[in-house]
Amino acid sequence: MVAEPRRRPRMRSSAALLAWSYAALGILALVLFAAPLLYTWEDVIDEGRLELLHEDSQRFASVYQHGGAGSLVDFINARMNIQFAGERILLLTDARHRPLAGNLAAWPAQAPEDAENFVASVEFAGHPTRAVFLHTRLPDGYHMLVGRDVAKFAPLQNRFWYGLVTAVAALALIGLLGGVLIRRVLLRRVYSIRQTVSAIMQGNLSHRLPPGRDGDELGTLAQTINGMLDQIEQLVHGVSNVSNAIAHDLRTPLAELRSRLEELALTRPPTPQVFTEIEAAIADVDRVIRVFNALLRLAEIDTGLRRSGFVTLDPVEIAAEAVEFYRPAAELKGVELAFRSPGPLHASGDPLLLAQAINNLLDNALKYVDAHGRITVEVSGLEQHVEIVVADNGPGIPDAEKPKVVERFYRGDVSRGTPGVGLGLSLVDAVAKLHRGTLTFADNHPGLQARLSLEQGVAGNAGAGGQARLARPPAPEAQPDAKAAGS
Amino acid sequence: MKVLLVEDNQRVSQFIVKGLRESGHTVDHADNGRDGMLLATSERYDAIVMDRMLPGGIDGIAIIEALRKTGNRVPILILSALSDVDERIHGLRSGGDDYLTKPFAFGELLARLDVLGRRAEGGSTRTSLEVGDLRMDLLSRKVQRGSRAITLQPREFKLLEYLMRHAGQVVTRTMLLENVWDYHFDPQTNVVDVHISNLRQKISLESERPLLRTVRHAGYMLTADG
Repeated sequence: MVAEPRRRPRMRSSAALLAWSYAALGILALVLFAAPLLYTWEDVIDEGRLELLHEDSQRFASVYQHGGAGSLVDFINARMNIQFAGERILLLTDARHRPLAGNLAAWPAQAPEDAENFVASVEFAGHPTRAVFLHTRLPDGYHMLVGRDVAKFAPLQNRFWYGLVTAVAALALIGLLGGVLIRRVLLRRVYSIRQTVSAIMQGNLSHRLPPGRDGDELGTLAQTINGMLDQIEQLVHGVSNVSNAIAHDLRTPLAELRSRLEELALTRPPTPQVFTEIEAAIADVDRVIRVFNALLRLAEIDTGLRRSGFVTLDPVEIAAEAVEFYRPAAELKGVELAFRSPGPLHASGDPLLLAQAINNLLDNALKYVDAHGRITVEVSGLEQHVEIVVADNGPGIPDAEKPKVVERFYRGDVSRGTPGVGLGLSLVDAVAKLHRGTLTFADNHPGLQARLSLEQGVAGNAGAGGQARLARPPAPEAQPDAKAAGS
Repeated sequence: MKVLLVEDNQRVSQFIVKGLRESGHTVDHADNGRDGMLLATSERYDAIVMDRMLPGGIDGIAIIEALRKTGNRVPILILSALSDVDERIHGLRSGGDDYLTKPFAFGELLARLDVLGRRAEGGSTRTSLEVGDLRMDLLSRKVQRGSRAITLQPREFKLLEYLMRHAGQVVTRTMLLENVWDYHFDPQTNVVDVHISNLRQKISLESERPLLRTVRHAGYMLTADG
């Protein structure tokens, strides 16, 4: 079987199935209600009929007691003349069941010998009739049979059945129609969702689902999906930006490398020059490797997996070490490097990444600040956050560029011509996000103020490795497994 | 040193084997996990360079774990294209002694291998270090050049201690970053060079013989005979 792709595919609708199930359930409930009712009703009618027969029979018996058989025969004959035909069946016989009076031609053949009451089919008034009989034995061996036609209540019974069948049919019809309607309405909306999603799958990420009525289930679902699409569009946009940037930042050194090698192959210069060129080529490759490493590190942070390795750390200590690490380089450039902190603090985080982030901020500041400039690093503990502010009095960043500097491979106008791959601040931003914090930039009048804010977090997995995950483990068995304990 | 190289990439192996032989080492090479395991367990080596991902059903980590289980304490340098910090920790925890990410400079590999091989020889329970007339007392944390006392910042002391412990060996910038500062990443500018030049000024005055040499394309070496 080949499905036509352009036609709306026929699918099993769960909504319609649900509607039909409810209709079937309704019918079942109706039948369950009607069946005992019918049973009780028939029972009551039967009993009432028997009671009437008993009354008749007692009356005839008393006539017989007072006047004997002849009187009863007269009485019956008199009754026969005034009663409506078919209403009551009467028969008086002698001991051998020979009819003496009544409107029944003969003793019913099906009549059981012992039973007091029974149902039998008889020929009555020219029609075969089903009737209930009461058999009374009179003294001196006479038999009296009093009966009533069962069919008398048949129309009522029929009406009951008709009513029941009509109700069932109506329920079934409503269920069927409801199911079809629900299915159609639902299918229309599902179809529109499908169309939108198909368009998205073909690459047009700007499509959005129709929101529908507020608060209804499909509307809420559409809103959620739209939110997800916003996120995906943003990510894809980011990825394509990064690809462009990668194309630029990797292609440039690769192009240089290629032309260098090609020229070497073509011109075959004297040996010393070859060595110089080869060294330059290695430097080109190293540049490419650095970009790759930075990207890999970013990807590693972005996955958020590193959070499992969080330990309790002192951001003041890490920042102080970073400042001491950069102090000789700052002194060489004639830059004054100041460090301020309130004393030891506690936060939960990844010490290696935090160190790298602070290093990158310092590196950045030192790169752009003029000789004889100033860099201040200040760590402060707020209620929920730890703030690390790296401020310099360099050229700063124009306000318009501030949000862009954390984008991958973004290089501001100021940074053109300086070394670096344009990923340093992206890494700081990623580290901040990993620590549920932010990286913001402000004016330092003059210069730049980079503010790295980290959530203090819970010191949940303290001591489960600590610095050990940085240090080289001396022996595998002596090392507590920080990874296992942290997760 | 007798070195075992377990590495499946033909070109990389050639490059390492050639480089190590030129540096005066004896090299055995296995290009898959099975052969590597066989050689590592049957022969005695001074150091092993082990690639992580290997053909032949046994990967580098499995070989290292097997060796360590049998009590073999040969120094092992893990080579890997996996650069994640977690991968690195996993490699070291399995019993490797050092971890080098591909691609790498040969100088880096040689320097690390030298340090590993030498560490296995010398004990680390010394109370003082000496290189020429430079003397470091590890207990009182005092440094002297001849009769001249040298005052060092704590981090400078650590830097000099590392250099003195590996005197006569090349140490790379990355090795210094990892061992002196505990920084397992590449700072964007060569801050280490500035630390070294500061230290150099402190341990060698104009009139004194220089002790701390820069080795081109590799790193630094502290040596008395230069």
